[in-house]
Amino acid sequence: MNLSLPEWLPRSNTVNLLAGAFLLSALYAAAQRRVLAAVTAYRFNSLALGLIALVVAFVTGARHIALAALLVLATKAIAIPTLLARQVRRGRGATETEPIFGVPAGMLVCGALVVVAFSQTRALFGPGVSILASCLPASVASTLVGLFIMVSRRQAVMQVIGLVIVENAIFLAAVSLTYGMPLVVEMGVLLDLLVGVALFGMFVERIEETQGDSDTTRLTSLKG
Amino acid sequence: MLPLLLVSPLAAIACLALRGSRWTARVMLGAAALVLVQALMLAGRVLRGGPIEGAAGWLQADALSALVACIVSGMALACAAYGQYYMAEVATNERADARWAPGRYEALVLVLVGAMLLATLANNLGLLWIAIEASTLASALLVGYYRRPGAVEAGWKYLLLCSVGITLALLATVLLYYSAVHVYGEGPAGLRWTSLVAAAPRLDPRFVRLAFLFAFVGYGAKAGLAPMHSWLPDAYTQAPTPVAALMSTGLLATAFSALLRFHAVTAACVGPAWPNGLFMVFGALSMLVAIPFMLVQGEFKRLLAYSSIEHTGFLALAIGLGTPLATFGAMLHLVMQSLAKSLAFMVGGTLGRANDSRRMDHWSGVLAASPAVGVLFVGAGIGVAGLPPAGTFVSEWLALTGGFAGAHHTVALVALLAFVAVFTGLAFHWSRMALGRPRPRFADHLPAASRVPLWALLGLLVLFGLWLPGPVRALVEQAAKVVRP
Repeated sequence: MNLSLPEWLPRSNTVNLLAGAFLLSALYAAAQRRVLAAVTAYRFNSLALGLIALVVAFVTGARHIALAALLVLATKAIAIPTLLARQVRRGRGATETEPIFGVPAGMLVCGALVVVAFSQTRALFGPGVSILASCLPASVASTLVGLFIMVSRRQAVMQVIGLVIVENAIFLAAVSLTYGMPLVVEMGVLLDLLVGVALFGMFVERIEETQGDSDTTRLTSLKG
Repeated sequence: MLPLLLVSPLAAIACLALRGSRWTARVMLGAAALVLVQALMLAGRVLRGGPIEGAAGWLQADALSALVACIVSGMALACAAYGQYYMAEVATNERADARWAPGRYEALVLVLVGAMLLATLANNLGLLWIAIEASTLASALLVGYYRRPGAVEAGWKYLLLCSVGITLALLATVLLYYSAVHVYGEGPAGLRWTSLVAAAPRLDPRFVRLAFLFAFVGYGAKAGLAPMHSWLPDAYTQAPTPVAALMSTGLLATAFSALLRFHAVTAACVGPAWPNGLFMVFGALSMLVAIPFMLVQGEFKRLLAYSSIEHTGFLALAIGLGTPLATFGAMLHLVMQSLAKSLAFMVGGTLGRANDSRRMDHWSGVLAASPAVGVLFVGAGIGVAGLPPAGTFVSEWLALTGGFAGAHHTVALVALLAFVAVFTGLAFHWSRMALGRPRPRFADHLPAASRVPLWALLGLLVLFGLWLPGPVRALVEQAAKVVRP
């Protein structure tokens, strides 16, 4: 089907604001020492993503986008954060550990990543490609911030949060480039993601079981 | 195609229902045999009638998918036939390690097999992604099968690295979908591989290039290409031996064929030179990275894991060489390395149990200790090293001949030198283990029946090395045509 898009959407303040909230919540997760706060940040990240998709669905009147948006909200804003939060409360992951970068240095790196993303997205994707212009740089920036969380944190759960933020950012790229992928595909992707997070939780538990905490930098027994 | 896809998930459910009884291993064996028969029948249909589409365009079987489906299901059968003895032996002798009720292991292996088959037969790139991610999840659980710290570490690394990789592959899928939106509009058609290949010249080349880069990183990590390979030695070493054999053959072939699907679209859109270059560079890098680790390796499964990286590298390099003969050699190598590698893993599993150690310096005099295992062990070594009369020799030789006939002599020379270096390392390790005086504590606990699948693998490996039956040859030829029309 061919979806016609009203002129105002690319410059829509609602979408711009939501994209801003999306990026800001990713940065908030990167700035947090406490894992539970980072889980909450992820929840808001997913909420912003779902709302952007809902706005697109509302404007275009496409029912499959609305359904996909609701599924995103159900899995990413409710199920996965709940799973992660339960994991954190049950294990010893909630205690603070020193990140590899201090928070101020980490924030500086994240700021640099955002600048890179906003200045280079146009060069990467070329001018005038994005349907939702403000979302694509925010998505690239959040991808980089999510990857930074993964490499700069020691706790296993924080690395999972980095991963799911990257996943959210790619969903945002899908929404802003093509209004999201076909519904069946999105459903499968969300199902895989949900099972994946449950599996990550199981491994976090086992890491805590075998070494007493969930510091992944201490997982170095296998070499050669 | 649907019955082929449904057998293993249904058998997995049956295994969960029968959890705790003795029937689960037999259910898995029966299901694997049924899957293999159906895969062979599918290959026959494709050979006679060309590509088949199914399920409203979501599935398709061309020669490449039929070939990979045959590899996956053949390896699943070998894994089930050997695994029933091996896992029973592990369960009786290692109380602390294996705490799983029988049934869950079989169910997970069957889920893994089902996911791999879905990935090979998927026509929709989104479905391909879902299936590959599902195979990662199932195999990560299997890598963590033993609850020792090393297995947890390996499972965690594997899950995390391949999840990041697969997330980038999702981005690749989105980008390719976007590049086709102006051709097909919104809807599943824009993700259909057959439509994408047909419309490739009209796709936006900028996005196709980006998509290929991300897919290369994502699915390349899964296939074990350097520098995204760091999870692989740990995962193969820690996974139970039959699972390691399945991962180094079926899963490798599946991930590599996913890479080939993206390669076909990219080559048709921006010309073959650019994707071929990437394949050659990272293929050669993988081969070279693996060599030092193979020369000074203490653990047998780790040695085979680095050998897998080397073989994936060679596959990529041969595809990158670009001549028809090299492509044919690469497709043939996909079959041959599966036969050789699964044989090596399984005979290594037997020896590991018999010597009660996984370290190679604790193994010696295998030929004298048990002539039957010794012959299989030497055969596996010849296969992994690529010497005649093993089939791997033929496939490597064909691919390299194709390379020297083409434009990239230096790359083919690099591969040839890498093979020589690998051969010296393998000859050193193998001669030390196969010859000499057997260890006094050597005791092969596995029954002779567990060697039947190994003899079958060795027989096929040597048979294909001496004479390639017509249908096999035709299937490999047509698969090469799918990769490079």
